[in-house]
Amino acid sequence: MSKYDPIVYKEGKRLFYRFSAHQRLQHVVLFSSVLILALTGFPLRHAEESWARPLYDLMGGTELAPLIHRAAGTVLLALFVYHTIYWMVLFYKNHIGKLKREKRVTIGNIIREFFSQEMVPNKKDLIDIIHIWKYLLYFTNRPPRHERMSWREKFDYFAPYWGIPILGPAGVALWWRDEFSHIMPGIVLNAAYIMHTDEALLAVLFLFFVHWYNVHYAPEKFPAATVWLTGYLTEDEMIHEHYADYVRVMIEQGLEDQIQPQHFGGKEYDW
Amino acid sequence: MQVAHSVLIRDVGMNKHVMTKWIAVFVFSFCMFSYSNAGFAGDELNCVLCHKHRGLSRIDEDGKFRLFYINQELFDSGPHRRNKCKDCHTDIDKIPHEPARKVDCMQECHMVEPSGNIKFSHKTVEETLHKSAHSPLDEDGKPKPHQEDYPGCKDCHDQPFYRPFSFYKGELKAGVSKRGISRCKGCHTNGDFAEDFYEHITTRLRKSRYPMETIKSCAKCHQDPEFQERHDLDDVVTTYMQTFHGKMIALGSEKTADCLDCHVVEGENTHLIEGKEVITSAVYKNNVQATCRTSECHEKAAAQLASYQTHVTYDREKYPLQFYMLVGFKALMACVLYFFLALIFLELLRRLFPCFSFIKDKKQDDEVE
Repeated sequence: MSKYDPIVYKEGKRLFYRFSAHQRLQHVVLFSSVLILALTGFPLRHAEESWARPLYDLMGGTELAPLIHRAAGTVLLALFVYHTIYWMVLFYKNHIGKLKREKRVTIGNIIREFFSQEMVPNKKDLIDIIHIWKYLLYFTNRPPRHERMSWREKFDYFAPYWGIPILGPAGVALWWRDEFSHIMPGIVLNAAYIMHTDEALLAVLFLFFVHWYNVHYAPEKFPAATVWLTGYLTEDEMIHEHYADYVRVMIEQGLEDQIQPQHFGGKEYDW
Repeated sequence: MQVAHSVLIRDVGMNKHVMTKWIAVFVFSFCMFSYSNAGFAGDELNCVLCHKHRGLSRIDEDGKFRLFYINQELFDSGPHRRNKCKDCHTDIDKIPHEPARKVDCMQECHMVEPSGNIKFSHKTVEETLHKSAHSPLDEDGKPKPHQEDYPGCKDCHDQPFYRPFSFYKGELKAGVSKRGISRCKGCHTNGDFAEDFYEHITTRLRKSRYPMETIKSCAKCHQDPEFQERHDLDDVVTTYMQTFHGKMIALGSEKTADCLDCHVVEGENTHLIEGKEVITSAVYKNNVQATCRTSECHEKAAAQLASYQTHVTYDREKYPLQFYMLVGFKALMACVLYFFLALIFLELLRRLFPCFSFIKDKKQDDEVE
């Protein structure tokens, strides 16, 4: 983390650090494998539709497309395991290590440290969810001020942690169905089929409508956000999406006098 | 033959007057003037002299429009190409001829079946069919109800085509192998004998029809809601098409199991499809595991693979596991998507009035929450 400056200047504009190159690379592997899985899986799920056959043929047809699908699934599962280990290592280094140095290693402190991680949902997220609905329904004129990771980003982040444990084992069971039948009855494959196809539909619809809205379709992002490539957010994006974090970073960098009020699209909120 | 006839003669319902004989004479005369030397192998009587014309047709006594055009190219691609027309249309003995009787596929034709040195007939197929679920007779030999629902040859079979393949240096290709046929033709030099037998044999080394054709053939009856109601059957075709087997076939696979792979005991005659309550049936509860584990299918699977349910209707009583899982996933999907889509919609709307509020919060709070 320390090798990245919290704020960098490019062409006179302030950019705020978000993701390391390592994290961005993991994201590239994640979305590439998910896209390939969707392109090779959905023609099969909707085989009766007129678009399915041409798309499946384009992806290799009935001989090659299943192999590509399984290869992409293997990559995604491997990434899931890798990222979990990466997360555990970071947690140990940054949180358990700190407790050890301070000789405060207790169960309670470990739990507290766990929930203090930037990606783990906490009480502030619950407050922010209630707050955003109040704001969207015009019961307050103040939008929530998000920390480094907003509740929506946490939902995006934990979606694979909910989806992959459902899709992955079901996919493996359907792939190795003959071998699997030696330890489980065949009806488990009926369950695996529903798990795999329906969870995949939910994942793809969520990615297409919700995640892509956040990073592609939203007016200020269209046609695409660049943070996944550069690792940095602009000052306007930080103010709009992570105002609490923006204020914190500006104060930490001694730029307190240059903190801008929370605004969006040139309109300052009536605080 | 009746089988051959089905693709060559198309029946279209059309209530018109019957053609008179003089028109037939006129047609015959027209054919004579446009005579060409073209003709297929079995056409010793020169039937295609008239039947090669695409418009050769009439309205029959039932008011049906009947087309008598023979597509020679198609006919020459199938196993009946060596039959003479008269082998099947036995009642035709003069030209121009009277309306011909329906072809009986069970009659003997001129071809000699080499293993028994007897005249060939599809009689054995009929005998097998009568042992199957598709027999119009019950165990006591009495007609079953709804006789019209039980299939004859033409209900499942169109004009069959050869699907030969060649195999050279490990690569499987469609069509006759020039290298393979050259070995036959070294001795079998007369006519198309070598080609006929090459196609006859290699076509039978794989499925004679594309799996999707087989499914569509079964679907003609089994996907008809009225047929299902008459025989108290589920929509097995739709439920099959929802399985990975069905989906892969819809996408063009020939390696996945179609109806016949699961409903005919390995090695049995394809026409012997028995109901699931018959003890010798491929889908009898105790036989399913053997059917799934037949060679080239799930050979390595354990017997308990058989508890996989193929024709799932998502009926709460019959398939509670699938029903509740499906409801659970749909509910989850609805909750997640409606929550976020509503949020996105309201957020886009809010951009028009970012500072408006029914309840004005006057608190000047610059603290980070």
